[in-house]
Amino acid sequence: MAPTLSPSDLLGRVNRDVERSLLRARNGIRYVRGTNRPQVGGTPKDVVWRRGKVELWRYRNGTRRYAPPVVFVHSLVSRSYILDLRPGNSLVEHLTNAGLDVFMLDWGVPDELDADNDLARYVDWYLPRAIDAARRESGCDEVTLAGYCLGGVLALLYAAGHEDAPVRNLILMATPIDFNEMGAMVALLRDGRLNAENLLDDTGNVPADALYSGFYMQAPTVEVSQKATLLENLWNDEFVDGFQAMSQWSRDHVPFPGAIFRELVEQLVRRNALMTGAIRVGDRVIELINAPGDVLNAMAERDNVVPPAAVEPIMELVGDPARRQELRLPGGHVTFGTGRSAVKETMPRMASWIIEHSYERSDTEER
Amino acid sequence: MSSKPAWLKVVQKLERAIGEPIEAAVRTDTYFDVVAKTTRATAAIKRKAESVSRRGLHLANLPAGSDLSRMREQLLRMERRLNALSEDIAERDSASPRQRTGAS
Repeated sequence: MAPTLSPSDLLGRVNRDVERSLLRARNGIRYVRGTNRPQVGGTPKDVVWRRGKVELWRYRNGTRRYAPPVVFVHSLVSRSYILDLRPGNSLVEHLTNAGLDVFMLDWGVPDELDADNDLARYVDWYLPRAIDAARRESGCDEVTLAGYCLGGVLALLYAAGHEDAPVRNLILMATPIDFNEMGAMVALLRDGRLNAENLLDDTGNVPADALYSGFYMQAPTVEVSQKATLLENLWNDEFVDGFQAMSQWSRDHVPFPGAIFRELVEQLVRRNALMTGAIRVGDRVIELINAPGDVLNAMAERDNVVPPAAVEPIMELVGDPARRQELRLPGGHVTFGTGRSAVKETMPRMASWIIEHSYERSDTEER
Repeated sequence: MSSKPAWLKVVQKLERAIGEPIEAAVRTDTYFDVVAKTTRATAAIKRKAESVSRRGLHLANLPAGSDLSRMREQLLRMERRLNALSEDIAERDSASPRQRTGAS
């Protein structure tokens, strides 16, 4: 038998339901009209270096107590604000609040001028210059280099490919190494059903729409379930803001420069070169074992974009075997940027690892 | 957090019931073949249409899209070259203060 409610409880429940219905109506109208766009990437920052569309940002938030600085290298196919999505739900904000000096290397939105950018352009041209700029700005000789997804591949190749790379720690977040484990996303290209050229548009790049379609087709009906959850929580402003921010990011892909795409298809997807421990960049071969410093292999256990099986070989192939560590996190591919598990697990665990592998600055700096 | 209402559970179950077979289907060889064939066919149709319209426009001594593309390519090459030169200058500018410091 259902418990009977006292009149005051009943009144309270009616009040709550009426209030929620009004909030649902208000937020529903805002959502449909698209007038209430959430602010993303809101942690204050300065552009400290720029070449073309590529920028290096330094975040201003609290006191810089630890060194060396953390330099994030973002992926080439999505927007970097996933790591600084919303206040209270941002890896960048969490790390800066913990006293770390955080930089972000943002690749911008490539266009036809960038179609010729190959792997060497990123690994041997942009990255060394951006790292130099971060060292200059922070006054430190070394950096903690953290690459996310494909940005992890670039960070790894830079660190392993430059004998004098000033990398104290290398953090690889959801970084694919074994492309045979990448599943449906790359199957069409791996099996030769399609060539890289088939996906390039008139600008010479892979259009953002094609990338979005690739991700969307992984789970085409999930959106229905997500929209139903939104409808249930439409009264909750914070939920709606988070939902909108995440939906915006998941649709906000950027074109993939054609030259590097061709190289990645040939070397990483078809030859699975990273699994051999060596890969050709420009006119030399880079051996992954040469990556300096402590290596953290951070992976998400429910990642269906870069599954753990594609990431695990880092523990066999990258850097000094005695200096490799693995961090398994609950959640999916975006656990590095957002979600309940990100706030509870990913961000605190990432921050503690970085702080453990940093040192306290003698000149604590306010910003 | 409050538990999910019954209607939401039904929607989510239904979505999974439909979604799982679709997700399995888009990982099959048949699906990959369809995507590959569609992509190739679309590109072939586009090429054919461009070729026909180009011949028509050239007959009337008018520029076609492909002529504009070639011209755009040339402009892009020039712009890339200019960008490379600007980058060289920026590199020298950023290197010169260090050189001055080193010389003094």
